[in-house]
Amino acid sequence: MSNVVFELRDVYFSYLGKFEALCGVDIAIEKGKKVSVIGANGSGKSTLLHLLDGLIFADKGSVKFQGKELSERDFNDEDFSRNFRRSVGLVFQDPDIQLFCPTVKEDIIFGPLQLGIEKEEIKKRLDELVTILNIGDLLNRPPHELSIGEKRKVALASSLIINPDVLLLDEPTAGLDPLTTRHIMDLLISANASGKTIITSTHDLHIVEEISDLVYVFSHEKKIAKFGQVDLILEDIELLEANNLAHIHSHRHKDKIHIHPHVHLGHHPEEENLR
Amino acid sequence: MKKKSNFIRRSLISALSFLKDSVFAEEYTSRNGFLQGIDPRLKVASFALFFITAIFLKRAELLILLYGLCLLLALFSKINLGWFLKRTWLFIPVFSLLIVIPALFDIFTPGETLFTLNILRAKLVISRQGFFGARLFVMRVIVSVSFAVLLSITTKHFALLKTFRIFGIPQVFVMTMGMCYRYIYLFLKVVEDTYLAIKSRVGTRLDYKKGQHIVAWNISALWNRSYHLGEDVYGAMLSRGYTAEPVILDDFKTKSRDWLWLFFVVIFFVIILYIDRRVL
Ligand SMILES: Nc1ncnc2c1ncn2[C@@H]1O[C@H](COP(=O)(O)OP(=O)(O)OP(=O)(O)O)[C@@H](O)[C@H]1O
Ligand SMILES: [Mg+2]
Repeated sequence: MSNVVFELRDVYFSYLGKFEALCGVDIAIEKGKKVSVIGANGSGKSTLLHLLDGLIFADKGSVKFQGKELSERDFNDEDFSRNFRRSVGLVFQDPDIQLFCPTVKEDIIFGPLQLGIEKEEIKKRLDELVTILNIGDLLNRPPHELSIGEKRKVALASSLIINPDVLLLDEPTAGLDPLTTRHIMDLLISANASGKTIITSTHDLHIVEEISDLVYVFSHEKKIAKFGQVDLILEDIELLEANNLAHIHSHRHKDKIHIHPHVHLGHHPEEENLR
Repeated sequence: MKKKSNFIRRSLISALSFLKDSVFAEEYTSRNGFLQGIDPRLKVASFALFFITAIFLKRAELLILLYGLCLLLALFSKINLGWFLKRTWLFIPVFSLLIVIPALFDIFTPGETLFTLNILRAKLVISRQGFFGARLFVMRVIVSVSFAVLLSITTKHFALLKTFRIFGIPQVFVMTMGMCYRYIYLFLKVVEDTYLAIKSRVGTRLDYKKGQHIVAWNISALWNRSYHLGEDVYGAMLSRGYTAEPVILDDFKTKSRDWLWLFFVVIFFVIILYIDRRVL
């Protein structure tokens, strides 16, 4: 029992027993690390995060959380379930699914309330998050009336407020404008600096560098094509291309069409300012 | 023919979104009205008495009185009366007519003739007993449905679920109730969204035959989709620590006003049933 938070060994999962979503995945994630999972659409990233969050369970292979095998039966135990939910938080890919309360405020405080966190404490955390994410104006509105980006911020707040040790984020910056993306990145990085483990699934290679120590690349075969240090993965254009993460770019240049592989990196205006 | 089916479909869709907005109108729950301010536990208890009254009353005038009380309560709870009437009356035909129509006719409820209908040479006789029995039944449905809608639009969903738990309704039932609520909501939403999606793809002049070919219109597919959405939403609730033992922000607090209210309702209940029985 070392520093490993999640350990997956040869994990298989299929939906309804026929739609394969993970086919033999091995992963080990250490405490306090930033890890990202990248891969094409349908390569099993969301499935992996749901598995780590104890919402679905492996058909085959083992999933261990802090050295203990996760099984569906454990979640019937109230203490275990509560501890696990306090330690692991998931931001869903589809904010519409995550937001089910009549108002934004109720949605954000739903988690900590269910988990029995002190009301004073909840209020304090709510105020903090509202300021950081700049969502004060939204608090009394119904979540389904918000724009996609606003919904995503609220969904993020509703998981962050639980203050879990491990944060699972399913494409947290999809559809957000550059400045909001920046804020969220800063939030995640500072959370990581304070010791939290961050596991992000994304297609956005812009953000991968900042939010990963280690990158897992999922292949079309729904298993891991490669994993390693972030710089090594991002250099491997061939691998990225093979997994729909970089694309052949063509553009017109003095009446000639140039075609070359293209990785979306370092195009971020804010990024340059920060360095 | 084409136009007609299109029209029917459109009305069906608007009826469905109407339904969705009425049962799931959570915005009323946060208004600062009379019923919203009452401790949900005592409120549920008092509404239980209203339901019992509605079921046992035999005199139409008293049912009308009870209905009047319901509207008055809606008014004091800052609910737009026109809105409330429209929404409740939408369900009433659905609930009552289906059950009641057969009972109108003297095949099922024999008695004196009130009207005679000549349909396809078959004489359908509406009996007096059938008519009045049906009238009473419809009125009971009206009153109960109105009270049910009133309760659901003045009480927050999770607070209501929590109250049911306090009243000793087993966890499984409360959980199932919550799930059903969610499924129906999502189903209505999926229907609405699918209609929009189809409209954007084929325009409003959707012809019936083509419509049938669009797989999404298959009711079972729609239901499946909402079922999956429901599962996902439930997953999202679990993920944030939900355990079918809902915790809400404001703990239930009983003020003396709430007890006064329940006291009034009990007195009302006793008196109205007494009058009902004695005068008969
Ligand atoms: N509810 C479901 N029922 C059946 N199959 C599913 C379901 N959810 C996902 N799948 C299948 O599982 C596979 C992995 O899906 P998953 O959602 O994990 O992919 P992803 O990597 O998150 O994709 P994306 O980048 O599009 O979000 C896909 O082939 C998908 O078709
Ligand atoms: Mg996904």
